[in-house]
This record gives sequence, C-alpha cells and structure tokens, in this order.
Amino acid sequence: MNCELCQLKELELEQFEIREVLRCNLNSKLVAGILHTILFHRALGLVRPKDIDLELFDITYVQCGDFELEKKIDDKIEQFISWVEKHPNKKSQICLSFYEVKNKQVSWFSNKTERLYWEQWYINLNVVQHTKAHSNKSHHSKVADPGEGALEDRNARSAALEVSLREVLFQIIKFVNEKKDHLPPIPNLEGAVSFPYEITIPSSSDSAFGMDMIKRMLQTGHPTMLS
Amino acid sequence: MAPSHSNNTHLEAAKLEQIITEFFAKSLHIILESRSLNVSSRNSCGDPTLASPSSSSSSSSSVRPRDKWFNLALRECPAALENIDIWRQSNLEPIVVVVDVILVQKHLDWDPVSFSPKRSIHRSSSTSSWNTAQEELGIEAKSEKIIERWIMQYESRKTRDSISSSRRSSNISLHSLYKKLLLLLRSLYATVRLLPGHKIFRDLNSSGQIRSFTLSHRVSSSFTERFTCKDETEMQKFGFTPVDTSCGRLCLSVKYCPSVPEVNSEPSSTPISPRVITDYVGSPLAEPLRSFPSGPTTGLPSQGSTSSLLFSRRHSWSFDHCRPSSPSIISSPSPTYSEPHTSVSNVASRRFPPTSLPPHPPEMYLVQKNKTFDEYYPSPYMSPSPSPSPPIYSYGPLLSKALVRSESAPVSIPTADVTTSGGNSNVRNLPSSPPIRGSRYTSRTDRGVNMMQTGATAEKLFSLGRDESRKYYATNTSFFLPQISFSRNSSRSCQDEYDDSDFSCPFEVDDDDMTDLGSRAESFDHGHITDMVETGGLYPIRKSQDAAVGALVHMLQKAPPLREDSCTPGDSSPSINTQEQPNQILEASTPATASIVASGLLTRKTTSDALEEFQGYREMKNLLLLQGSKSQI
Repeated sequence: MNCELCQLKELELEQFEIREVLRCNLNSKLVAGILHTILFHRALGLVRPKDIDLELFDITYVQCGDFELEKKIDDKIEQFISWVEKHPNKKSQICLSFYEVKNKQVSWFSNKTERLYWEQWYINLNVVQHTKAHSNKSHHSKVADPGEGALEDRNARSAALEVSLREVLFQIIKFVNEKKDHLPPIPNLEGAVSFPYEITIPSSSDSAFGMDMIKRMLQTGHPTMLS
Repeated sequence: MAPSHSNNTHLEAAKLEQIITEFFAKSLHIILESRSLNVSSRNSCGDPTLASPSSSSSSSSSVRPRDKWFNLALRECPAALENIDIWRQSNLEPIVVVVDVILVQKHLDWDPVSFSPKRSIHRSSSTSSWNTAQEELGIEAKSEKIIERWIMQYESRKTRDSISSSRRSSNISLHSLYKKLLLLLRSLYATVRLLPGHKIFRDLNSSGQIRSFTLSHRVSSSFTERFTCKDETEMQKFGFTPVDTSCGRLCLSVKYCPSVPEVNSEPSSTPISPRVITDYVGSPLAEPLRSFPSGPTTGLPSQGSTSSLLFSRRHSWSFDHCRPSSPSIISSPSPTYSEPHTSVSNVASRRFPPTSLPPHPPEMYLVQKNKTFDEYYPSPYMSPSPSPSPPIYSYGPLLSKALVRSESAPVSIPTADVTTSGGNSNVRNLPSSPPIRGSRYTSRTDRGVNMMQTGATAEKLFSLGRDESRKYYATNTSFFLPQISFSRNSSRSCQDEYDDSDFSCPFEVDDDDMTDLGSRAESFDHGHITDMVETGGLYPIRKSQDAAVGALVHMLQKAPPLREDSCTPGDSSPSINTQEQPNQILEASTPATASIVASGLLTRKTTSDALEEFQGYREMKNLLLLQGSKSQI
C-alpha cells in the first residue's frame, strides 16, 4: 500500500518565555488545531464535532469530540512544548501517521504485528525566539515602554501566523479532498477515531519513542504487540 | 437513475439515490447549521443551559438515525430540516441545490431624525456589491450581500456508454462512494468554519445584542439571478473534489467573499474581538466582581456584571447545580422540605429582588403567599418557617430555564444523600429522590460530612445577617422577613427546591455557599456577615456546637407534633420564643395548609408535621444564635 505524505506548510511560531503561559498555550492550541483538523478528517466513526475557536485568531477548527483523543493530543503537545523549550531556535516536525496493523504469524505461538503506514502528515514548525532586543530594534522610540512595542510586534506576527495557519488548515482540507483512494477500509472500531495513528514528536532518545509506540498500540486497542 | 436489468441493479440504484439524497441533506445541514443565526448551534441564543463550551458535543448524547448517516452527528437545525424537506418533496431531477448565505444589513437608524447617520453607515460599510434595492425609498432600509454561495450538484451521466463501465464496479463503489462522501462531508464541515463567513456567524451569534447585521440564507434548487457579475468577480471559489458515482458525480463548491465586512464594529462587540489581554488576573473582565463589596469571595470569578456571564460562570464552578438535564427532576417535587434553607435564605433573599425575578407564576404566587403568611409571622426577627415554602413547587415546571440558571444556584444549600440517611422524621414524606442528586452532590457530600457543623455555621451566619436583611427590607421594600423567605423560595430554581427536599439537616452549607452569601449580597448592607466570614468568626464555634446540634436534631426527629416544651439542651431563652410561636403557628396553620392543599401540592404533609419542623428549626436557630453570640463575645 502506498503511503501518502503530506508536508504541511511551515509555521513560524514564536518561542515565548515560559512565564508567558498564555502565549505558550497559544502555540499549543495552534498545533492542536492542526492535529485535530487532520484527525477529524480521519475519524470516520461516529463523530460529534466540537468547534474550537482559537483565541486571538478568527479561526475555528473542529475536534472530534472524543475525550481520549483530546487528551492524547494535549499530552503530545505538552511533550512537544517542553522539547521546544529545551531546543530553542530549532526547526521541528511533528508527524502524524496513520497505519494499519497486520498480524504476521511468525510461529505457531507468537504473532508479530506489523504496521502498514498509509498516510503521514508532517507538521513543520519553526520555533523562533523573538528576543526583546529584536522587538526593540524595530521600535526604538518605544524603548521606554518595551512592553507596548513588543505587543505591537507580536500582534503583527500574530496576524501573519493566522494567515499561515489558515493556509495550513486549507492545505489539509485540500489534501483530504484530493486523496481519498489510499484509505484502507474503515475498521469496525468503536469511537470516533477509526484508524490507528501515532503522533511522533522530536525526541531525545529513541527508546522513549519506542515506548510511546507500544503505549499507543495499547491505547488504540489493537492486538497486543509482542515485539 | 440508470435503467436496470436486474433486481440487484434496482436495489443498488435505490441505495445510491438514498446516499446521494442523504449527502445533500447532510451538506445542507452542515452549511446552515453554521450560518443560520436562528439556530443556537453555538453558545449564544436559545437555551442558555446549553451554553457550556462542550455543549455542542454533549448536548445530545443519543444517536439519532440522521446522525448515523456519514457518521456525523450534527446539532438540530430547524432551518436545515425545513429546507431538506422542501427539497426532498420537490424531487428535482437535475439535482442542484444552491445555498446563498446572505449578510443583511439593517439600517437601524431608519428614523428620519437620524437620517444622515444612516447614510454614513451605509457608505462606510457597503461595498459595490451590496444589493440595496429598496434603500432609496427609505422605507425598509436593508441591504443584502451574498457572502457565500454553496453549490451542491449531482451531475447525472446519462450517456449509455458510461453505464457498462460503471456497473462493473458499482458494488465496490457504493462502499467507497459512501466513504468518499463521508470524507467530503468532513471537509465541508471544517471548511465551513474556516471561511470568512464563519467569523460573521461567530460574531453575530456570540453576542446577544441587536445588531445592524444579520445572516440569512436562501436555499434554492436552481441558480438564481441575484448573483451579479460584479459579485462573482469579487468572490473566490473553493471546489471540493467531485466524487464519482456509478452514474454521475457529486460536486460541491463554494464561492465566497474573501473579505467580509466587519459586523463587529459596534462598540459593544469588543469582548470577542481578537486582542491580546496581557493581564488576565486583573483584567477588567473580572473586575465587575469587585464592584460588589464582596468580602470573602473576592477571588472568585463568578460575579460578572452581565447576567449571562455571571450565571454561566457561576455554574462552571458550582457543582453543576443546574444542568440542562435537571428539569427532569422537577417532575417529582417534594413539597415539604424547602425550609432547611430558610435560615440561610434570608441572607440570600436580600439580593433576590433586584436581579432575578421569576416568571410570572411564581411571582404571583409569591404575592399571595406573603399576604397570607405575614400575618402569622408577626416578628420579622423570626426565621422564616418551613411550611410556607412548599407551594412554590407548583410552579417548578413552569420556571424557565433562565430562572433556574439565574439566581438560584448560588443560594442553594448543597444537599447530600448522606444527610438524608441521617434519618429525619420528615424524610418519610419525601418522594423518591432523583437519581441525579447523588452524583451531583458527591463533592458536597464529602465536604459536608459534618453537617451538624456546617449547619451550625449556616445558622450562625444567618442569624448574624438578620439585621441586614431587616435593614434591607425596611428600606428597600415593604416586605417582611417571612416574605423574604417566601420570595427566596420562589426565586430559587425548582431544582434547588427539589434538591433541598431531601435535607435532613436544614442548615447545611458549604464554603461555596458561604462565600456566596457574603459576596452575592451585592450592594446590600452585608458587611457584618462578610466580616464574620472573613475573620473566620463563624468557624471557631462550630465544633463546640456539634454535640448540641446533634442532640437537637435527634430530639427534633423524635419530637411529637406540636410539642411545646421541647427540651433543648441549650439555654432556656430560645424556648421562650418557641413557646410563643407554636400558638401563632397553630392559628396560622389552618389557612396556610388549606392554601397549600388547595394548590394541590402538599397532599402528603400534615400541618402538624410542618409545625413540628418549624418549631424544631426555630429552636435550633435560637440556640445556635445564642451560642454563637456567646462564643463571639
């Protein structure tokens, strides 16, 4: 089965100081918006959509209304944000992959599951640090009030980010529209999210990633993986 | 559809037709749901109890047959249903459904006096494409602009040659067609929310204010003339990838205005316009709370200035007093038991008159009742008796949800099954408790483990606040205290009443309510209470009263009706009151009960029961009052 790839347009996010919880939150929500939009298009089970308005933006994205899914995404994003904090000024990628699980009988007593990826979405993020020096550069006159200057600057970036985000979301919709043939048959799973998926974020160790995979396997309610 | 040669083909064609039909219906539903202002698909209009953010997903948990189509559960949308039906009846062959989403600008300043403003508004907001046909006449100044045109089309392939090829794969294609349409509808759902038009919908829907703009829609089964070339050039097109069927293809596209007029430009709309709020903690949004001399609860974000904000927020942290599901409870009201709260109700009721008067029936009743009972409660000093309150239940079902949500929750004293199990003589009169109660108040139950303590506290609180209530009523209204309790009962949500009905301990109150009492007294003079709460003056005495209150309750449970020489363990002075009162009550009881019975509610409660309760609570109150004041000193 061929695996469709979708490289989403890069979003330039600002890395905010940690104490700016609110702004951090915005980043999380942006990423969440993208992930949820993709997953909404792949949640072919019964869905009760939930609208989420992004604060600061005039953008509404849709969630599946699946609590488990929301929690999973939130957890992932939290991990991602903490990774970003440790690796500032680095481009990063979040990959959302959909796969099928195939049982491969190795011997009489053991099965091996195999993942057949049929779709991968790459969310490209460029988390940059806008230091105070940067904002002051463009607002010399407002050195006395750096907060205001930074605010203006930030609003400008925020507007640009809104445009980019909208583009990314439309990109998702277009991709979903154009590529429909590669989807495997809808498994008879309960819940909204019908296909198994995984979200991979940059990780410092591969073993942790492996653990994640196993955990995810268990979470998605698939045949136990003995690998 | 395609002429068939076998039953199978017939069946398939029928299925295909059904899928297509449902697709059209669903698409229409999706579009109108998020563009039709009449539908409270979001959080503003309609039922306020659905205002919680999660309402869209949780409001209807049952799966309707319609939801199963394309696995997409949508909210009710009368506009869509209407149009779906019309379209289905028409059964047009070349299926085209055009949905125009129209932004209508009403010129609110049609008044001839302010004629010039109208023009300026029009000039500033209208674009070349505004259709302002009637505007020159100045009669119905209204301009319309199509901001979105959705075109759903089924292009039937009539040509013979395609049939043979499509028939081959038709079996598969029904499944895959369904899947593709499912995906297409997901896309549509997300797209509808990404288009600029959704911002208008959001803005218009999120504020309940009257605006000069509104959204309307027009569903037609043919292309209408209204789309001018000028309009067309301004619009952008987004076409969903057509989905092929065995004998045609389904197309869905939208033309939309990339830039929509700012409908939100009115000053009042600022709260939802995007902006950076740098300081949330001290932000003006939270500030209205502080305008009240709110004592202990200044930290609580519950008290916004606008009622809607206030109530919705209040409920967000109030253990879901008034869930949407609650009205079902009303069906089994328990008339006898409202009074447990009367001790607190005085305090609470002081804020009742200004803000949330119930709909007419309770109000009317209130008046009647007050007349009746004032005579029997000559001493405004007295805490209101339990018996008057029950009749309010009769109006329970009539109370609007708004009322339910409005003032009542903060006032209500949490109830708990635990308390019921404590064993109160009154419990026997109660109808079975609603299933919802247990879960609702679980946390409160925990908190109120020692209900005697909390009861004592509440009682204390009440007694301390009595002065203020009197003051308030003396200055503000002609009410007397007994009335207060009635009015308070009237104002309370049916649900509260209902919940309260199970109390065995009348005075249970938790921190939440405590703070409410203080803070929500709003502009009334409540400094005393507030001080008390703030300084913790109420709490130190709690433990010492445990035993006494426990004994009291026990005694009350065992006390025969109308027993006058109740052996209160405390000081004898409270009993003076109680000995006087029973007579009065006794006199009063007959008409009171009669009226209650006449209202058809209190069938199970006897006068003696009520009197007994009343007496007991009075004694408790007085005792606690006394002890409280002692320990204060």
